Amino acid sequence: MKVLVADDSRVMRQIVIRTLRQAGFSAWEVVQAGDGAEGLDTTLREKPDLVLSDWNMPEMNGIDFLRGLRAAGSQVPFGFVTSEGSPQMRELAESEGALFLIAKPFDADTFEDALRPHFR
Amino acid sequence: MTDTTTETMTETLARSVLPIAQDLFSAMIDGEPGLLQAGTGTADLAAGSVRARVDIVGPTSTRAEVVTTRPTADRIARALLQMADDEPLSGEDVEDALGEVANVVGGNLKGMLPEGSSLTLPVVELDEPASAPAADHDELLLWRGEPLVISLWTMNGEEL
Repeated sequence: MKVLVADDSRVMRQIVIRTLRQAGFSAWEVVQAGDGAEGLDTTLREKPDLVLSDWNMPEMNGIDFLRGLRAAGSQVPFGFVTSEGSPQMRELAESEGALFLIAKPFDADTFEDALRPHFR
Repeated sequence: MTDTTTETMTETLARSVLPIAQDLFSAMIDGEPGLLQAGTGTADLAAGSVRARVDIVGPTSTRAEVVTTRPTADRIARALLQMADDEPLSGEDVEDALGEVANVVGGNLKGMLPEGSSLTLPVVELDEPASAPAADHDELLLWRGEPLVISLWTMNGEEL
């Protein structure tokens, strides 16, 4: 399994990767991107099995990143990890094809609950 | 603040600051609850402080700013990155870490504001004195006994 973690915060990327490990997904290979545009390029090139993306990023935000992937024909499973977890954001994420939205703050249990139904 | 709706919203947001910050610190910084508590009185953080802010822009616009001393900001960054006390820590890491604290606080507050609001990217200033006018709400918190203040400004239809 390969997962792409996109967030403009290096600190947050490290926390997401650490939390993935703590949630039991320690064998996954991780690639990183610093914004949505880099995430789009890297996803199309690296073909990860899952994308975990922040929403609010410079250059290209998370929802445009997701739309860009779908427009390019990629159906890679996509989940948001974002500080904005309002019902409206969750609804928009789902309508655009996201599997889940993890709201910050989170812990390993949050990750396990979101990912386990989709990845074993 | 003369508008009743804005006063009510400010009070609602102000009441939410402590539980939002406690959830953040217990889940992602400390790994256990109880190390971030409400403080009393005021804290003098004017000199040599780290200030991280985000704006929630919409029908009612709100600024949330997190302020603490540089040593406490360094300690928060080390905790977020799970770094040992003797590992080198860059100013960029401190800016990034405090920016994420402000981002999580602001993102959670945004969920309480009217639909159609948007969250800006964090802006962080190291070793900067305060330049903004007095806040509508200052929440004094103590993390491991050290002061950290989260301030809110709320404007109805005005520029922040």
